[in-house]
Amino acid sequence: MLLLAGFGLIFNVHAQPPAPPPLPAEFQSTDVIEFQGEGSPDNEFCLNCHENPYLQMTLASGEVVSVTVDADAYADSVHGQHGTEGYRCIRCHDNNREYPHEEVSATNRRELSIELSTACARCHTDKFDETMDGVHLMALIDGNEEAAVCSDCHTGHEVQRLTDEDTGRPLPESSELAAQMCESCHADIYNVYANSVHGEAVLAGNSDAATCSNCHGVHSITGPTSSSEFRLFSPESCATCHADEELMAEYDISTDVFDTYVADFHGTTVTLFQRVTPGQAFNSPVCVDCHGTHNIVSADDPSSTVMKENLLGTCQQCHPDATANFSDAWLSHYQPDAEHAPLVDLVNKIYAVLIPVIIGAMILFVASDIRRRWADRNHEDL
Amino acid sequence: MNQSRSYLRFRLSYRLEHWLLVFSFTVLALTGLVQKFAQNDISIFLIGVMGGIQQVRVIHRIAATMLMLESVYHIGSIGYNLIVRRAHWDMMPRPHDLVNGINLVLYNLGLRAQRPQQGRYTAEEKVEYLSLVWGTALMIITGFMLWNPIATTSVLPGQAIPMAKAAHGGEALLAVLAVLVWHFYHVHIRSFNTSMFTGYLSEEEMEEEHPLELERIREGQTEQPMSGRVRRRRVFLTAYGILALVMLGGIYVFVSFEKTAIETVQPAATQVPRLAHVNDDGARGLMTAADDPGPLLSWDTGVGQLFAEKCTLCHGGTVPLAGLDLRNYDDALLSDTESPAIVPYNPLASGIIIQQNSVHPVQLTELEFAGVYSWIERGAPQQEESQAQ
Repeated sequence: MLLLAGFGLIFNVHAQPPAPPPLPAEFQSTDVIEFQGEGSPDNEFCLNCHENPYLQMTLASGEVVSVTVDADAYADSVHGQHGTEGYRCIRCHDNNREYPHEEVSATNRRELSIELSTACARCHTDKFDETMDGVHLMALIDGNEEAAVCSDCHTGHEVQRLTDEDTGRPLPESSELAAQMCESCHADIYNVYANSVHGEAVLAGNSDAATCSNCHGVHSITGPTSSSEFRLFSPESCATCHADEELMAEYDISTDVFDTYVADFHGTTVTLFQRVTPGQAFNSPVCVDCHGTHNIVSADDPSSTVMKENLLGTCQQCHPDATANFSDAWLSHYQPDAEHAPLVDLVNKIYAVLIPVIIGAMILFVASDIRRRWADRNHEDL
Repeated sequence: MNQSRSYLRFRLSYRLEHWLLVFSFTVLALTGLVQKFAQNDISIFLIGVMGGIQQVRVIHRIAATMLMLESVYHIGSIGYNLIVRRAHWDMMPRPHDLVNGINLVLYNLGLRAQRPQQGRYTAEEKVEYLSLVWGTALMIITGFMLWNPIATTSVLPGQAIPMAKAAHGGEALLAVLAVLVWHFYHVHIRSFNTSMFTGYLSEEEMEEEHPLELERIREGQTEQPMSGRVRRRRVFLTAYGILALVMLGGIYVFVSFEKTAIETVQPAATQVPRLAHVNDDGARGLMTAADDPGPLLSWDTGVGQLFAEKCTLCHGGTVPLAGLDLRNYDDALLSDTESPAIVPYNPLASGIIIQQNSVHPVQLTELEFAGVYSWIERGAPQQEESQAQ
């Protein structure tokens, strides 16, 4: 009843105020309802109708879409909290400044979501530009209407802040939120991830551990299978955290992992592909080929693919003829020191002495020979 | 004394061996050191020039095979000289070489008045030759281990592989530096020795470098024909033939046993992008070949349909981006854009052509672009002329 009373006070309504539900025929007339206040229509103006829980529209496809807005939920969202009254509805729903609204061109619910998401681009141009490099927008343009648009991850009216307003860095809770966003479409992968060492930590509220976007990127998310570059540069993604001494110290994880990988045959090959022929297809192993991807567990876990007992099996994925000793050729991310690889250490030490001693002796001999020949020649000249 | 006389030092077969060695050693050093110092910018440049790391590794292996074949030949050559020709084993180090070496150092230091008199091969040359033999043997053994890690670890512990890698790289660096210092100084810098090109040394060079050899030649102590040479030759060639076959078989196993360390998926011949993208240099990107937009004669015949498919997701609908609405003809030509999107008869002034030539998220295919361009050139008609009449 308050709603009804409100109509008369705020609006200049040419027809009798309608009473929900259903909308009386009068309201569906051609009479135009316009905002009578200063400037553009405020949220109260819109909510007078759209708080109505029965407000619906029928699309050409026959789908019935609720157009009710939860005003409290919106008020809690990052947009609703902006300034004193939050952003106005018409900031996104620009063409609905008066009633009747412009005819909806979308023929079904999905088209409507896609159309409305383009409104985000007006303010979040940078993010929208990033999605243009992303696999979701590409799929959409390719004709897959199920591909995620802004609102599929961020929601429409309940958008949550994910980065710190001042620093721009991800908020602690964003890790978990991000994983849950992806879950709505990628549930199979999410379920595997949730049991991984990263997933367990993230879902327990640890924002240090990798969430989906740490490896896959955010708006410019690339398809792990659509190009070889994602795989080729994936060791750098892992190194972002695993070569960070400060971060790894908290978890007592070695930061030698990246350097030792690059120093070894596989890693050297991969870094050369990165720097010389980045577009090329390749099968040299990157981190995830041994450690796993979404199912990655701690190297100390008995089920780990890199556990000593399981390592040979992991090697045999690419080297099927490998026998028991083969996996020891890989020094398990240890620097080849006296403790972890005494033979390698010995050879390195031998050459560290041999090269300077032999070459140094040769240089000394050559120097003395030059000096003597010089002296002999001068002597002959005399 | 006949001053113009020259003396044969290296016959043709020796010279050919030397140049084969120079070639394989240089290629091995170049393709090997760029792998040892793979993160160095110069290495990256050289690897790029040589066609990528996979090709570098293949070149390295071809040169290694050449060096191994040359080693098999060299063993036969030594054997022939020693057994059939009963030649003096001049290259073998003897106690007097050590004495010569010490005296040479002392002479250089001014502690001896005379430069030691040396024969056909000097102590300096013997040091280099023995280093080469030792180094080649070590490189072949460690090279085998790196080339065939699975076979190696079926016998040796796994750590043998990184150990072989360390030794292969360390020995390579030592060898290259030794050649640059020792060989280059003695043969090219001190005085340029041309005997590996011509085969001959002059009388002065012989006096300077190999006085004892010169003396021996002058005394007529040259190779004497000996009895039984034909029989020795037959026996030797039979024995060496068998040995060579064994060694060649070994090399074949060496290079063909495992592909573990070399086989990688070859680069894709062509990448067909699913979508049209802009290249890094801003030029229009590759297009999918199969896309034929059909005739783009007028808005009603093709153009409007094309825009509806490709453009109206952003330029139309709820939010016509940049003010451009491509859903119908009138809005397309009269949209409230900053600059006109479509200027009839003037494609180069038309916003959509300008945008397509720069960074625009959705790119038309070449055929589509050509069609739209020509449509604007013809005045961007709404209907075909025949329809309009």
